[in-house]
Amino acid sequence: MTEKKKGKLTKVLDYLKHEDPFSKGVAFCPGCGLELLLRFIPQVLGNDIVITGTPSCSAPVLLGQNNQSWHTLSYFGTLMTGAAANATGLARYYRKAGIKNTVVCFNGDGTAADIGFGNLSGAAERNEPFIYICYDNEGYMNTGIQKSGTTPYGATTTTTPLGSASKGKNLRRMNLGLKMAMHKIPYAATATLSDLEDLAKKLLKAKEAKERGFAFLHIFAPCTTGWGYAPENTIEVCRRAVKTNYFPLWEAVNGKIRMTKTVKKPQPVSTYTELIKKFAHLNEADLQILQDDIDYEYCMLGGLSVLEGECQLPVSSED
Amino acid sequence: MKPKTQDKTKPGSQIEVITGNAAAAIGAKLARPDVVAAYPITPQTEIIEQISKFHADGEMDCELITVEGENSAMNAVTAACLAGGRVFTASSSWGLVFMYDAILATAGARAPVVMVNVNRETPGIIAVSCGQQDMISTRDAGWIFLIAEDCQEILDLVLQAYRLAEDYDIQVPVMVHYDGFYLSYLSEGVNVPFQEDADRFLSVLNDQPQRTKLVPGGKLGCGTHGILGGYLELRYKHVSAMERSKAKFEEIDKEFQEIFGRSYGGQIEEYRMDDADVVLVGSGSMCGTIKAVIDEKRDAGVKVGLLKIRMYRPFPGEVMVAALKGKKAIGVVDRSLCFGFKGGPIYTELKAFETQLGGSKMMSFIDGIANTDITKANVEQMIDLTCDLAEGKDVREVTWVSYPEAQEPDSEKPDSEKRGGL
Amino acid sequence: MSSNKFLKHEGPWSDANDPLMCSDTGGWRTKRPVVDKDNCIFCGFCAIYCPIQIMEMVENSHFSVDLRFCKGCGICAKECPKNAISMIAEGDFQK
Repeated sequence: MTEKKKGKLTKVLDYLKHEDPFSKGVAFCPGCGLELLLRFIPQVLGNDIVITGTPSCSAPVLLGQNNQSWHTLSYFGTLMTGAAANATGLARYYRKAGIKNTVVCFNGDGTAADIGFGNLSGAAERNEPFIYICYDNEGYMNTGIQKSGTTPYGATTTTTPLGSASKGKNLRRMNLGLKMAMHKIPYAATATLSDLEDLAKKLLKAKEAKERGFAFLHIFAPCTTGWGYAPENTIEVCRRAVKTNYFPLWEAVNGKIRMTKTVKKPQPVSTYTELIKKFAHLNEADLQILQDDIDYEYCMLGGLSVLEGECQLPVSSED
Repeated sequence: MKPKTQDKTKPGSQIEVITGNAAAAIGAKLARPDVVAAYPITPQTEIIEQISKFHADGEMDCELITVEGENSAMNAVTAACLAGGRVFTASSSWGLVFMYDAILATAGARAPVVMVNVNRETPGIIAVSCGQQDMISTRDAGWIFLIAEDCQEILDLVLQAYRLAEDYDIQVPVMVHYDGFYLSYLSEGVNVPFQEDADRFLSVLNDQPQRTKLVPGGKLGCGTHGILGGYLELRYKHVSAMERSKAKFEEIDKEFQEIFGRSYGGQIEEYRMDDADVVLVGSGSMCGTIKAVIDEKRDAGVKVGLLKIRMYRPFPGEVMVAALKGKKAIGVVDRSLCFGFKGGPIYTELKAFETQLGGSKMMSFIDGIANTDITKANVEQMIDLTCDLAEGKDVREVTWVSYPEAQEPDSEKPDSEKRGGL
Repeated sequence: MSSNKFLKHEGPWSDANDPLMCSDTGGWRTKRPVVDKDNCIFCGFCAIYCPIQIMEMVENSHFSVDLRFCKGCGICAKECPKNAISMIAEGDFQK
């Protein structure tokens, strides 16, 4: 009986080679996607990473309080405006001093897509030797759920509220991952929490790629509190985001795009939005706008992978 | 920059005719920084061009980060500094304030960054011209501010800045200021120290305990939240270190003299102050002109002297009081404004010591803003007005020397009143 | 030098060589995951998806929850392919 059970143990556990460096009791909401991601990264990459963190939902845990800490990682608490530049400084000094290092610049979408995008782009252009991770919860969650550049069309936030003259955010979301891939950096990829083996592989590829320069991971990390879905649905929300092509999983080596997971029959976006309160007010016509955006982005992704010389539509080689 | 001549009469140096910006670049090179990050801005650009050339020629073994903006320059060098590196950056004016949040964070993290700021107007109104308003805009950031008068002092202060910033008892970032245009592009003879002497001057730091560093796997983190008493403790430590830096800077001036044969007097320089009745207080490149006029006035029997501020933050209140106490009148020359006060910033700050000065009368001169030259005639006017103040004549508290319109009776009235009502 | 009562270092450094901070997040829980050992096929999905990473392997046969820290989010129950984890109201355990 026991023998039979053992054989089915998920392969993801094989990637968790290192200890979880975080205290077990930390102040993330129940069901927080960020908490899973933050504990996952050092278990895969090792506890000798140097992690930088900005003011965000991660800050209350990444940064200490006076002399005390919530984890054993070396960290640097940076400004949102200059996170990538801070990581640049660390990685460059370690290189100069011959100190082996994996600098992980860990930021939310507010830093990566909005206030810190300039220096993120600059670091990518200079091909700086570190890993930049954006955990994307589509808004400014720590300040109370405000709209960011990655907030999708139609989503309500406290700065895109519902009203007689508003149906939520009236703008499309920025495709941050693709933008970064177009810097032709050694490695760029998207990932999410439902596909943890994919995420683990991409973390390890990023670690290997940063020996050649800049590595960027755009990780979809839903927020139960800010989006209004039941805490137990965090993984399901990720899964459906992938299955609807709302958040396709791909990687790009030197800008060359390849899908790491191809959805054979993509489901309509409503199967994703139906779980989430921030979309609850959208009617069919509104959802069609969101659907069109998803289709357009996915089509462009496919087109780019062809243009980049793959000479075939995006298909998975691993899944 | 290959040495052209070696002046054997001045041990430990060679004379080169170089600009102020080149002096700054050479000063940085002599300190052997691990990481340099900078972004161009007039009138600082030549510094990073020089450093880039040093780097390209293999004369400077550093990581050179050609950042996409000043904010990133300061963030990059701060992080590199906290990781354990010696770092350098330079900026000016709008560039300096574009790194303002990072400048605060650098000081808060107690990262001993050394940077050069080439003083330029404004920020505020677009002006490609000299002024110390950029310095004033950042004076409360928690940095040590040093101000150079000429090209030699620029080079020397950059070296001294490293010795001061990285001292284990200090650990406060240092900004070396000098006047853009007047000094940045001025070429003059500079004694350039030999590398081995610069190394010797800074080697004191190697014998000190090492500051806390961010090491991979080291279980330390920088940027912890300062909570209540912890916040107060950090701030008190910072303020204490700033206070300690005054005496340390004086010590460093002596160390520097032993090796290089040049001394500047520490926090302030006193020029013909001993028997002076009236004193001008100034800083930066204006001091050369002031000294020349003082010499002429002395020849004419006027007992006037100059107090040159070399260390502006922390404010050298104690040594200034000691030097100024009992003087009949003090005229403070500011190359910047102090919005909310009529007088200039240094004047306003020196007023805080008025009671300790024992009855010296004080007046404020605003001049040199936006490249309005502080001419010999202007300095003469300032000295004459200060003498008038000493004699008890009725003079205005604040004089805009190059803008006489400010002295007109109605100058402070609003436009609507001058037109006869709204 | 100033005192080091709150911070051991001159600047704003925290030091994880000292014991880590830890909150009583178990006290937040309103529902408790209860694992049905017999139904558990030991796939580990609950363990990998648990945001707090507190599903512990027991004798290579099933998983159990560290209730000191479990916030009761219910992801483990939701992701269990065999529905072997039930979320039971904490109140039921007080009776």
